[in-house]
Amino acid sequence: MDKPTPDNRGEFFDQFLDDYYAECDEHLVSIRRSLVTLEDEVDGRAVDRALLDNLFRSFHTLKGISGMVGLAAAEQLAHHLESYLRELREGAVVLNQSGFEALVSGVSLLEGVINARRNDQPIPSIDDMVDRLQAISADSVTSEVPVSSTEKRETDASVTRWQIEFTPTAELAERGVNVNSIRARLQEIGAVVQAKPVVKGAGEIAFEFIVVTDMDQTALASLEADGLTFQPAPVEPAPRTREILPSPMIAPASVVRVDLDRLDELMRIVGELVISRTRLEDQVAELKRVTPPAAWRLLQETNSTMGRQLRDLRESVMRVRMVQLGEIFERMTFVVRDLARENGKKIIVQLSGGETEIDKFLVERMTDPLMHLVRNAVSHGLETVTEREAQGKRSEGVLSLSAMTAGERIVIKIADDGCGIDRNLVLARARAAGINHENAEIDDDALLNLICTPGLSTRTEADRESGRGVGMDVVKKATEELGGRISLATRIGEGTTFTIELPLTLAIAEALIVSVNGQRFAVPQSGVREVLEVESASTKVLENNEIISYRGKVLPLIRLARVFEMNHQRGERFHVVVVGEETNAVGLAVDRILGQREIVVRAIKDPLAQSRGIAGATELGDQRVVLILDITALRQLAVTSRH
Amino acid sequence: MNNILVVDDSPTMRRMVITSLGSLRRVKSTQAGSGLEAIERLAIEPVDLMVLDLNMPDMHGMEVINFVRKHQAYRNIPIVVLTTKSEESSRTEALAAGANRYLTKPFDPRQLADVVGSLLQTS
Repeated sequence: MDKPTPDNRGEFFDQFLDDYYAECDEHLVSIRRSLVTLEDEVDGRAVDRALLDNLFRSFHTLKGISGMVGLAAAEQLAHHLESYLRELREGAVVLNQSGFEALVSGVSLLEGVINARRNDQPIPSIDDMVDRLQAISADSVTSEVPVSSTEKRETDASVTRWQIEFTPTAELAERGVNVNSIRARLQEIGAVVQAKPVVKGAGEIAFEFIVVTDMDQTALASLEADGLTFQPAPVEPAPRTREILPSPMIAPASVVRVDLDRLDELMRIVGELVISRTRLEDQVAELKRVTPPAAWRLLQETNSTMGRQLRDLRESVMRVRMVQLGEIFERMTFVVRDLARENGKKIIVQLSGGETEIDKFLVERMTDPLMHLVRNAVSHGLETVTEREAQGKRSEGVLSLSAMTAGERIVIKIADDGCGIDRNLVLARARAAGINHENAEIDDDALLNLICTPGLSTRTEADRESGRGVGMDVVKKATEELGGRISLATRIGEGTTFTIELPLTLAIAEALIVSVNGQRFAVPQSGVREVLEVESASTKVLENNEIISYRGKVLPLIRLARVFEMNHQRGERFHVVVVGEETNAVGLAVDRILGQREIVVRAIKDPLAQSRGIAGATELGDQRVVLILDITALRQLAVTSRH
Repeated sequence: MNNILVVDDSPTMRRMVITSLGSLRRVKSTQAGSGLEAIERLAIEPVDLMVLDLNMPDMHGMEVINFVRKHQAYRNIPIVVLTTKSEESSRTEALAAGANRYLTKPFDPRQLADVVGSLLQTS
């Protein structure tokens, strides 16, 4: 009777597919997080009940929503995973290694099924997995060890049990004071061991919380302002005490999911506003000559206020696009765990800075490259237990993933304490592949360039599979396309660290506006080291390259006029914008520096208009297009022209 | 205007339910992501009908039914249980506790709207 007609249901529920994928992602993240913790409890006497509850609920929800969108394979797989979790929860089976591995593979397959649907690819078969899950529930020996709840019993005399009562009202809800926010505040004070609704004399609903804390009642005093009352709780807990756990999967009704496209649209409109304001600024400046000073000052003040507000607006929109890196770190942990077992290695993963936020778009682009670096570290960097012990290292390898923000940029480090990259091996491979490299001694930068050369791989055929088609060249390209930078530090026997620097966001950037031959260009501020004024007479030509001396070193010059084939009259003096790192800095020769501006970056999509050395275009308010220079490509141009 | 409280821990599921009920006239929806939140909504505004999931964190749907049926002020609110098909025993349990209807997911949007519409008319 409850069976819907499949045809019209399909159409109806298609409109929820984006929500469905987003929610699946959230659950899969939460599941992976739980599985990593659960691994420590394999064969243990007591499994954390809360962990099992969370896992169970995630599978349960995935089953429900997959059924709604008609993805039967995901629905069934989630159903079998849920059933196994139920048996674990009820203590009917004990979590052993094979059960745990089945869970892990089941989750990977579930993700594969969902992604296959998302990418319109054939849905993988779930039959074998279902058999495997059924087998472990049937085969496992019935446990005599009950799965015990990890309820915390506080016996310490210094802790107090407080009974807190909260009466919700429409006014409080309006101010964001509700049962969820109150509980979150109580969790900061202590452990919330009970939360239940009660009805008072007049039929009024209230919530009764019991909090165990070592803080005194001043910690609770701030709650009184919101109409909460508190008193020491009766010593004996209520007969049905349930431990209330912070559950990461509750999506409060006040959270809205937004499609990334809509945020892009919002960012685009903010971009238009930035351009209009730049135009306004120019017009205000022009009015100065013809406007009475007092009136002009007022105009100018309003204009700058608007500039500030626009910056705030831009930052707010940017914040909405930010996601935490922790999610991708957890996915990596999962991959590491799997790979380590396949390769017979013991690896400790250290995470830090998971709360660092980055633009969602950047995360999506960087996931595969980062995953590749992590796989490399496990497959090639870290040694097996025997190899490590033979070298006197601790038997577990350490892989550390860290993230931090540095100004307008974000720095991600992937470091291992493994064997390091063998320069001689890389050089030998390079020569074998026909890539000439005269120097026998190469530094880390040159080494990175070599291993990022397309077609050069130190991997064997079998390893190639583990890389899943993404090579170091792709990692470097992806990073640089996003305006980022990758660097390497490696020492034989001690380990390897890859550092990736990325801009926090893409759409709007600070730039230096320069002019060459009357044509304006924007140089992204993040790549600029310094601006110099140079006399034409002081440049030298060395092996067909123009150079100047810069801080005691030689700085190659790139004449933008020549790169973009413009007819150029050189003046007596010109400006040089120094870009790039210490070791590979180059100078861009330009006529004038026009100023610093906030620019809205637009990609040039028309292949006919694309040109090497140009990253995109922007406008500055006078509706004339300004090209944005691609510093990385220009530097490469300088390098290749040297040979 | 009838106020329908949609309780489910999955935001996608809540949207699906609310959209399904969009075909009913003179109906608005409020939502809650857990049992406790559902009870809070009852305290804040009049609710004419509840569409309730069972398996939720914090407070199970069965506890919500028991709470609502126990208290004079809320006793008569019609409850439609909408839960993922898994345990048939829960159907008997939920109906015995006082749920008016028991539907399973995946659900048919039209059927849900029909059930809710007819309960609102008779209550």
